[in-house]
Amino acid sequence: MSYIEFKNVNKEYKMGEITIKALDDTNFSIEKGELVVIVGPSGAGKTTTLNILGGMDSVTSGEVIVDGKQVNKLNNKELIKYRREDIGFIFQFYNLVQNLTAVENVELATQICKDSLDPETIIEKVGLKERKGNFPSQLSGGEQQRVAIARAIAKNPKLLLCDEPTGALDYKTGKQILKLLQDTSRKEKMTVIIITHNTALAPMADKVIHFKNGKAEKIETNQNPTSIEKIEW
Amino acid sequence: MKKALLKDSLKEIRNSYKRFISILLMAFLGVGFFAGMRAASPDMISTIDNYFDSQNVYDIQIISTLGLNNDDIKALENIEDIKKAYGGYSQDVLINYEDTEIVTKVFSIDNINKVELIEGKMPENPNECLVEKAFCSRTGKKIGDSLTIEEVNDSIIKEKEVTIVGTMNSPLYVSRQRDTSKLGSGMVSYNMYLPKESFDSEVYTAIYVELANSKKMVTDSQEYNDYVQEVTTKIEEIKAQRETARYDEVKASAQEKLEEGEAKLQEEKVTANNKLKEAENEIIEGERKLNIAEITLNNKSKEAEQKFKLAEENINTAKAKIKEEEENFKKEEHKANEQIELLNKQKQELEVNLQSINTNIEELQKNLNKINENLNNNNLTQEEIASLQAQKENIEKALTNIKEQKAQLEAGILGINNGLEQIQNGIKEGKEKLNNAKTTLENNEKELNKTKQLTAKQLENARGEINSSKKQLQEGRKTFEINKAEYEEKIKEAEKELADANQKMQEIEHPTWYILGRDANPGYSGFMQDTKSIENLGKVFPIVFFVIATLISLTSMTRMVEEQRVQIGTMKALGYNKAQIASKYLLYSGLACLIGGSIGMIIGFETLPRIIWMMYSMMYVIPNFVASFNVYFAILGLGLASVCIIGASLYTVLKIVGDTPAQLMRPKAPKAGKKILLERIPFIWKNLSFSRKVTVRNIFRYKKRVIMTIVGIAGSTALILTGFGVKDAISDILIKQYENVYNYDMQISLKSDLQETEIENFIKTLEEKEEINKIAEANMTSGTLVNGENEEDVQIIIAKDEKINELIHLSDRKTKKEVKLEEGKIAITDKVAELLEVKKGDSIILKDADGKESSLTISDVVENYIYHYVYMPKNLYEQLYGEYDTNVLFTQNNVKDEHEEELASKLLKEPNVNTVSLSSNIENVMDDMMRNLNYVVIILIVSAGMLAFVVLYNLANINISERIRELASLKVLGFYDKEVYDYVTRETAILTTIGIIFGLIGGYFLSIFIVKTCEINVLRFGQEISIPSYIYSVAITVIFTVIVNIVTYFALKKIDMIESLKSIE
Repeated sequence: MSYIEFKNVNKEYKMGEITIKALDDTNFSIEKGELVVIVGPSGAGKTTTLNILGGMDSVTSGEVIVDGKQVNKLNNKELIKYRREDIGFIFQFYNLVQNLTAVENVELATQICKDSLDPETIIEKVGLKERKGNFPSQLSGGEQQRVAIARAIAKNPKLLLCDEPTGALDYKTGKQILKLLQDTSRKEKMTVIIITHNTALAPMADKVIHFKNGKAEKIETNQNPTSIEKIEW
Repeated sequence: MKKALLKDSLKEIRNSYKRFISILLMAFLGVGFFAGMRAASPDMISTIDNYFDSQNVYDIQIISTLGLNNDDIKALENIEDIKKAYGGYSQDVLINYEDTEIVTKVFSIDNINKVELIEGKMPENPNECLVEKAFCSRTGKKIGDSLTIEEVNDSIIKEKEVTIVGTMNSPLYVSRQRDTSKLGSGMVSYNMYLPKESFDSEVYTAIYVELANSKKMVTDSQEYNDYVQEVTTKIEEIKAQRETARYDEVKASAQEKLEEGEAKLQEEKVTANNKLKEAENEIIEGERKLNIAEITLNNKSKEAEQKFKLAEENINTAKAKIKEEEENFKKEEHKANEQIELLNKQKQELEVNLQSINTNIEELQKNLNKINENLNNNNLTQEEIASLQAQKENIEKALTNIKEQKAQLEAGILGINNGLEQIQNGIKEGKEKLNNAKTTLENNEKELNKTKQLTAKQLENARGEINSSKKQLQEGRKTFEINKAEYEEKIKEAEKELADANQKMQEIEHPTWYILGRDANPGYSGFMQDTKSIENLGKVFPIVFFVIATLISLTSMTRMVEEQRVQIGTMKALGYNKAQIASKYLLYSGLACLIGGSIGMIIGFETLPRIIWMMYSMMYVIPNFVASFNVYFAILGLGLASVCIIGASLYTVLKIVGDTPAQLMRPKAPKAGKKILLERIPFIWKNLSFSRKVTVRNIFRYKKRVIMTIVGIAGSTALILTGFGVKDAISDILIKQYENVYNYDMQISLKSDLQETEIENFIKTLEEKEEINKIAEANMTSGTLVNGENEEDVQIIIAKDEKINELIHLSDRKTKKEVKLEEGKIAITDKVAELLEVKKGDSIILKDADGKESSLTISDVVENYIYHYVYMPKNLYEQLYGEYDTNVLFTQNNVKDEHEEELASKLLKEPNVNTVSLSSNIENVMDDMMRNLNYVVIILIVSAGMLAFVVLYNLANINISERIRELASLKVLGFYDKEVYDYVTRETAILTTIGIIFGLIGGYFLSIFIVKTCEINVLRFGQEISIPSYIYSVAITVIFTVIVNIVTYFALKKIDMIESLKSIE
């Protein structure tokens, strides 16, 4: 059994009388330590998948297993615990707490985890040693996203979920961020899932899942993922 | 406004109804409270104004020290603007009820100050009266029952026995307070009304003036006061003249009386002198007559003695003569007796002869008879007859001879007898003569003796009479001397009286007119003071609401506008101008303001003044409360609310609407975090836990919200605390009065006319009672303290001895140290000292019930809470007013509750006792009154609670919506619900705590302010808020916070992470 199993997952939203099928019998699996890129057009179910994996959303039917844990069967409290201990989330708009400095934002995450990493070390790792005392508003977008990554990985999660992490960043910065994610995956042996609509990023992943109309239409496995520095778009 | 825009605006309300309602609620509270509180005072004033107009209550009252008469009325009515002047009578009387005397003030019924008839009918006859309803309930008397008015000095009431025909309220006494009195307990208990005809006095007690135009004005308004002042000035112009006229009149009548008195005295003097002289003359005459009588008597007695001597001499001569004659007579008698013997011898011889003759005769006769018998015998022969005849003839012849002899003899005897008789008669005659002479003499002697005795007796009697007359005369003289002395004394007295009267007449003071307005009426002025207090409250309280309303709408609208940045940008991009865009938000807040304000106004106008009235109606009796819709305050309230709420919205909209569409459509840069001052103090900062650091930093990040929270919470805490504080201040006074000051359990007031021994005996019986622990005697009277313009009625307590110190504690208000009365000085209670602006060591004028003024030095200002008192040492009292006598007893009892009641009712039946009041009963009555004050507390707490709720709820809402992304992020990070909740509410908790602290401080000052403004003249409200009140206030605020937090908790739980984090619109 794979580290992550997505089995026949359906997700429906009811908007008044209309039922929208966000996920339609989706199946895929991910191994531990893999860097996965999910690509696909808007509304294909990428984010829904990520939300379900991150314990932020529930499934209508089907089974989601992460590290042997049946996520779809967790109750609210267990879900929170799951998010708290197993998941690191990175958003397009960083979602940092504005009132906390870079390092404090990391601390915000570490203080609630059991085997968290040292915030200072993490901040150093993401290359913000000099700026750790700054507030988000004093940081550039890339720096903010680094803080967000630091915050996510500081929890030492089993799974790092990134929803368009570079969507709001310029090319160069975006590349740096992706590099950081790739390095993290490699060095820390962390399972990382990145959503992007940029298919050009596919080569950097161990596994690429193509989404279309709520289905994982195609799953490719790269035997030799390309280093991000080498990818141009 | 374009149609689409209007639609959008209205839809906006529906979508964000919570926000709309919170603004609406603020407008409701702000306007409602403002309108209600502000309208209360005018409503109260217009109620009393209506009442006074309908009862035709006087505008100006005139009292004179020498009374007033019809000339005064005429003079007053000549003044322009005076419609009519009414003369009225009033007098304090005592009415006996069971064993007590009720001090009652009797007024005359008139068309001014018309009483309000509650039951029964108006009096029609002079002996019909109206009483207060409370009088009936106290005495159990009903309509139709009659009352006895006790005789008082200078009574001007003709009726002694009056019948109750109805009950009334007097517009002159709208409060429960009555006047002071010289009678009984020193306070009038009830008023009574009698028709004018029941009074008999040449002067009126007061004149009540009705002004021509005053009814059109609101009482105590500037206009009214000016008008009254104007007329008062006019009255003052005639005042001096009228005073002089009255003075002359009184003086003239006194002069007349004095002259009359003098004349009478003179006349009486003359009459009395004449009478005295007459009496003296009589005595002298009597003495003279007595002397004459004595002399006469002496003469007479001498005369009588001489007469008696002479008479005795005569008698003695006569006696000697009789003796001589007696001797002569005896000789002749002897001779006569010899003759008689001789004669008797002759006679005896003769008689012997005669006897023999008679024997012869008888024999003869017998012979004769025998012959006659023989003759008569028929058998006799002729011869025999003839012999017989012849014998017969012989015998007869012898007989005739003898008979002749007999006759001779008999003649001789007769001659002797005659001779004898003659002699014997001669003796007899002589004897008789002698005896007669003797008897006459004896009689004469006897008579003389008798006369002698009689005369002696007569003389004796006459002497006795003279002696008793002498005694009588002496006594008469004595009595005369006494009478004379008495008369002289009396004359002296009468002369002195006249002199006194003259002195008094000389001393007749020039009368003074007191021209008084309605504010001299204690009930009315108290009421007006209270309306001022309410007005002040109305000025302060709503401010809190308006400030908070402004803050709430500011934050809500800011939030709303922030949320709709993009929309605003879009509209701008579409070409709507600033005004059009702003109009949506102004409409939104304007509608909330208008709807909330209008509802608040209606409810406020209707309820608050009524509730306030209800509270005051325990102190005042004024019917027909008018809760009016006060347009001025309505507009002002709505206006203020609009300025606050719409102004706040306008401010936020204008701040944003100036930006370019592009700027607007981009998400607003989140507010930057920054280091706070506290971080620069590592000592503190280092020791804070991470979450606390976050909280602290957050607090300093959203300043507007922080201020709103603190102000809101502080405001409501302050209001709640004020509510409790006001209650404390008032309920405290009882406890303090009866624990700190009065240590006695019972006050016994004695009947007024008791002898000292009666009191002593009564106290002895009390001392013997086991139920009573301590007794102190005192004299309690009423008076007035005067300092310049200011006057306050006070009770004066004069203790008989030191015993009172254990039952009434006199202590300095500030230092709480015990105070002792100083010789010749008085101690006064602190509230009256404050009102009259005097302090320890100052001098002050004390006016007693008779108006006598004395200037006294204040030795101490003592702690006291209810009413005003002056404590005076006994010797000072005696120096000022003469003899001290006990009229009140204070006791400390060993029994409680029903046993104490029993004791009191037993004592009440004692003949010496007038009233008995138990401290515990007074406490109960006051307690009931205090209970009504809970309304204030409830109003304050409910409104403050609503305020707190709205503030906190708003805060929570804003907090969540403003920071939803942050909170969603936390959730994503795996914060438990509780942790998210803590993250948010820790802030609220801190802010609430700060707010509460500020609120407690603010509430402390607010309640002091309120207590000061509401303080009743005769009460010293406590100025300390009790610890429980602080605790309750905090607890109530905390409870509201907790409720809001629970709501927040569920709101937080419901936050949808995905929706919130999707992306920025």
